[in-house]
Amino acid sequence: MKNTEFNRRDVLKTAVAGATLALTGAPAVHAQQKSIRFLNAEPGRESVRVLRVAAAEYEKQTGIKVIIDTVPPDDAFSKTQASIAAGTPYDISTLAFAGHVLLLAEAGKLVPITKLVSKYQWGPRILFPIKGENYWYPYDYNFCWMYYRKDLYKQKGLKVPTTWDQMQENAKILTGDGKFGVSLPLGANAATQWMSLGNMWAEGVSMLDDNFKLILDNAQMKPKVIAYLEYMKKLSPSMPQGMTQALFGTVLGQYSGGQIAHAPYAGRLMEVLEDKAPALVADTGFFMYPDSAGKAQAVNHGYDGWVILNTPMRDESVKFMEWFTDRHYINFLHSAPLHFQPPRMDIYDDPRWRAHPLIEKHADLVAFMKSLLTRNDVIIKSIDTEGPTIDLRPPKMFETFAICDALQNVMIKGMPAPEALEIMSAKYRTVLG
Amino acid sequence: MKSFRTSSDKWLLAAFVACIAFTLILILVPVLHAMHLSLFKSESFVSESKWVGLANYVQVLSEPAFWRAFGIGIVFALLTIALQLVLGIACALLLDQPFFGRPVIRGLAILPYLLPTVVVAVAFQWLLDGSLGLLTIWSEQIGIGRPAWFENPLIAMGVVVVASVWTWTPFVTVSFLAALQTVPKSLYEAARVDCAGPWARFWHITIPMLTPMLVVIILLRSIWMFNKFDIIWLLTKGGPLGATEHLPIMAYRRAFAQYDVGGGAAVATLSFAVLSILIIVYFHFYPLEEKDQRT
Repeated sequence: MKNTEFNRRDVLKTAVAGATLALTGAPAVHAQQKSIRFLNAEPGRESVRVLRVAAAEYEKQTGIKVIIDTVPPDDAFSKTQASIAAGTPYDISTLAFAGHVLLLAEAGKLVPITKLVSKYQWGPRILFPIKGENYWYPYDYNFCWMYYRKDLYKQKGLKVPTTWDQMQENAKILTGDGKFGVSLPLGANAATQWMSLGNMWAEGVSMLDDNFKLILDNAQMKPKVIAYLEYMKKLSPSMPQGMTQALFGTVLGQYSGGQIAHAPYAGRLMEVLEDKAPALVADTGFFMYPDSAGKAQAVNHGYDGWVILNTPMRDESVKFMEWFTDRHYINFLHSAPLHFQPPRMDIYDDPRWRAHPLIEKHADLVAFMKSLLTRNDVIIKSIDTEGPTIDLRPPKMFETFAICDALQNVMIKGMPAPEALEIMSAKYRTVLG
Repeated sequence: MKSFRTSSDKWLLAAFVACIAFTLILILVPVLHAMHLSLFKSESFVSESKWVGLANYVQVLSEPAFWRAFGIGIVFALLTIALQLVLGIACALLLDQPFFGRPVIRGLAILPYLLPTVVVAVAFQWLLDGSLGLLTIWSEQIGIGRPAWFENPLIAMGVVVVASVWTWTPFVTVSFLAALQTVPKSLYEAARVDCAGPWARFWHITIPMLTPMLVVIILLRSIWMFNKFDIIWLLTKGGPLGATEHLPIMAYRRAFAQYDVGGGAAVATLSFAVLSILIIVYFHFYPLEEKDQRT
């Protein structure tokens, strides 16, 4: 009779065999499963749902599993870096900063998707090609403009402002009884640089020349920047206190709560009003940031998009993105129908996109949003995309928050604007080298 | 040294060695990795690194912002440690007295320490919100207007100090209260016989008896407060105008936001070095061996 008892040697052999299998076999098994890891940075419930539905459909059709991980937008780059450093990079990731795309592309971590991107026509200042190649697939422009209370304007007999003086006067008139004329964040953060610089761009300020040299304090720009800082100081009595702590949600809450008469934001504000304060929807209008003389208008832009990482699954990831952007791109845009402003121009004429109830209801807002892309007199700017091409220096400038310091110096410390400009320029020069 | 002969002893030794090795890995590897990173110039954790030797240190040490952040860290640490000690010891002495409901109050006293820092920060932010904050509104109602909690550099520093003190004072209270139980009651009785009042008993019995515990508390609080990142980051992010930006926030900003991994690592390493020196100096003046001599 055969002895079936395990002795110590058998146990050791089994353990060694198991370990060997785990070390050598597991990756093979993983590869056979063909899973794509997708890092999503849109944590909204509907956005996550759309991605999961698409992932399930794709797995059903192709057998390839798409694993969706979701993080807050600010954590996306850190998590992407960590996954690369840990040797288990995501196959697809969401990024919201041109500098991050550039860093990953220059490190050879991204796959060019020029062919995929070239299938469509895109709006201005969104693709940020690097050495002739496109590395990301944008899904949102994130323009920031001004909203205002039409009912209050009517009550007080005000007109939509086309100059700084008019804006300041309107804000002043609408301040009182615990209500404030306008809310513009002033903290050293991205919210301030997205929401509070539009007037400066409208005034024609550029920070860098074509050689990435700082021109903020040259003879042409200096008076404009000083004028902008002084304008913001004049606006400050019409703002609620605590604006250095204000973030994106603060402004949404202040406007939907009826505390302020003007708020900077993108389409998200209208979505919030529809959800939380429907009575304000019909009473809300919008306009671009004006300049001092009524000659120019601007919006500040942000942007979001997907990148494909250079992993063993890159070819499958490209195929997935081809399929996803063809079949589910509009579904994803519909997950924040007014906030995700399409960068792809074909979307605006696509009946599937236009059929969303909120897009139909807010046809005037959607037409306004589209006009930002089609009009050639609209100034579209952001600190991190200053300069002739995409480069890491403007994102470095963005992260110093030097202009936020200038605003605080002028508005809180009472520093003269020229001195604040001098300090800001010096700080920018330290990162420009 | 006792030899490890029995099977049990060997297991004990193995477990001990494993724990030490595990701890060393968890502590030493990140420290050494940070030091390693500080010798390279790199714009991200995935970018190509270029060896620059001590250039990052030279750069960081030549910046006024570094010394300002260092000074802010010292001020923050000193203020919070002093207040935590005074309030913590006072609370411990109160809780050591017999009174009705003492066990419940002792339990409640540790509550702030049990709250996650993010909860404390959000609560303070809401209390001090410039428009809707309860304390802001109360301040206005009592006629002192709406304080610029987070706009004024001094007040902002005050806010982070108060939030820190409120959260971590219970640690001092509980530690000191536990140590108080070890002081022989006979010493107090003898002092009473000699007509020593409460103040004299505190200074001549309690404090000398609990000096070793105080040394440890001050040491731990110094390390924690000098490195305290979360509460400041959550409340002010180092603002306004850098008024609450100390070295940990500076290191984080440089490494994770400002595309300067080497510079951030250099700041972190320098912070580590400064703290190590402070601890060595501290132990030089207040050696823990005193406890053995006394007992």
